[in-house]
Amino acid sequence: MIKISKEEVLKIAEMTRVFLHEDEIAPMTKHLESVLSYAERVKEIAADIEEPSNKNVNAFREDVVVKTNPEPILSQAVVREENYFVVPVIIESK
Amino acid sequence: MNSLSFATIKELKEKLEKKELSHEELLDFFINRFKEHDENLGSALEIFDKDSILDSFNSEGVLGGIPGIFKDNICQKGRIVSCASKILEHFESTYDATATRRLKQAGSLILGRANCDEFAMGSSTETSAYKKTKNPWDFTRVPGGSSGGSIAAVAAGLVPWSLGSETGGSVRQPSAFCSTVGIKPTYGLVSRYGLIAYASSLDQIGVATRTVYDNALVLSVIAGHDIKDSSSLFVNKKDYTANLTGKLKEGLRIGVVQDALNAEGMDSEIASSVEEAILVLERLGAKVKRVSLPTLDYSAATYFVISRAEAASNLARFDGVRYGMRSEDSDSLRDMYLNTRCEGFGQEIKTRMMVGNYVLSAGHAGQFYENAKKVQNLIRREFKTIFNDVDLLIMPTHPIPAFKFGAFDVDKLQMDLQDYFTCPMNLAGIPALSVPCGFTKKDNLPMGFQIVGSHLSEELIYQTAYAYEQNTPWHTKHPKGF
Repeated sequence: MIKISKEEVLKIAEMTRVFLHEDEIAPMTKHLESVLSYAERVKEIAADIEEPSNKNVNAFREDVVVKTNPEPILSQAVVREENYFVVPVIIESK
Repeated sequence: MNSLSFATIKELKEKLEKKELSHEELLDFFINRFKEHDENLGSALEIFDKDSILDSFNSEGVLGGIPGIFKDNICQKGRIVSCASKILEHFESTYDATATRRLKQAGSLILGRANCDEFAMGSSTETSAYKKTKNPWDFTRVPGGSSGGSIAAVAAGLVPWSLGSETGGSVRQPSAFCSTVGIKPTYGLVSRYGLIAYASSLDQIGVATRTVYDNALVLSVIAGHDIKDSSSLFVNKKDYTANLTGKLKEGLRIGVVQDALNAEGMDSEIASSVEEAILVLERLGAKVKRVSLPTLDYSAATYFVISRAEAASNLARFDGVRYGMRSEDSDSLRDMYLNTRCEGFGQEIKTRMMVGNYVLSAGHAGQFYENAKKVQNLIRREFKTIFNDVDLLIMPTHPIPAFKFGAFDVDKLQMDLQDYFTCPMNLAGIPALSVPCGFTKKDNLPMGFQIVGSHLSEELIYQTAYAYEQNTPWHTKHPKGF
């Protein structure tokens, strides 16, 4: 059975950019432990296999610049100024 | 007009061609079907207004005037596509998915958006942020998922066909739960352009209908190479209905996956109904042998790891910056990310992303993700070897019939294991079709089995399924009250 500490759960939540309320931590830990303990069985048979699986096809092509009207995309912006998406201040001015 | 509710696409096309009714009358009829029944059933998130549906109408195509519905994760230009999530509640698609474009060109009328599990993550459609969809055969039970709305609408005769999407069984499992025909095509056969990603290396758009012929017809429209999807296969367009003769391929060899029939928790009525289906195929001339799929026990674990890892990475883009919802009143960018994702995503999504980030994180990636990719290779090789010996495989689509709402609220791992019989095909990238094979004696609940083939064997799968269907009555049974 895989054991996960509270610190580790909080670290993963931070990585995932989600916030866990104090009362959510214990059930989330329990669920992660049960899923991961089940998933761990992949290692039982993986030892004998050298190659990981590849995708069937992954076609590449040259980048081609196509003139596109940005308006439909920009009009979905929650907050917008001209052709920019506006977000909360990242760097404070002194 | 009531005879139209459960008419097949083939029959509706004939009526349109003979001018027994116009495409507008047909459209009105099916829009009214939703008005009449969907308040109870809950299959659709939105039914569009008639004029806007007819906007792009082209009567010339192979599906000219035939209405259908899309799972709410396939883009239709100018329409909302929410993935049944709050985070995309008002998001309007700026382009058509390739499948959408091809269906519009073929003349089909897209009625609306069908409910599903949030971001296609779930097996009951219960994780939708908007509503519960009921199983048309028993309103106390789930329709399956994640394409539950798409499949319930077809089963209830609200629409003759629908698109769903598959990552680990999301078209086949609800098809088995609701008595519809549902295909998961070969990975790369249908373009993923405009299908909002869950786990990109496994995702495929699938089709649900009430008959095999109709299913083959809709797949013929959407399949084929697309330059806009880098994983699209270089295959020419094909008419998958061409081979539906009612006869099996001469000397067809079928392997029955014995490990599935013997699996722990396998419902005995489903096991017997699959055995009966095998007898039907044998009578039709198939050579049947029992085969073993030893990796079956490892597929769900492999699927957990790969699908959650890809989900964590695909869903990182939903941050409130460019589109979708943004949490109000955040002082910093970091808080904006956190608050937006917390308010916008449901619990299941958060959990799957966290599992994904765990299995990808330093110190754990080797144990989980890298090992899972190796086992995926083993699963692929195992199928490849078996298909040297048999042409098709047969196994139950799902070990149990449709379950009650909330059945797995406590034991969430059991809900995660709902993909047990279906995810091996997604991992191997091979096609599989779920076909109705009867109803349980106890509760009259639908049962289904799947026909599985090697890469790009859709034609053979359909031919076999059609012959089975023509010799069994299941596709003529419809839920009461619709």
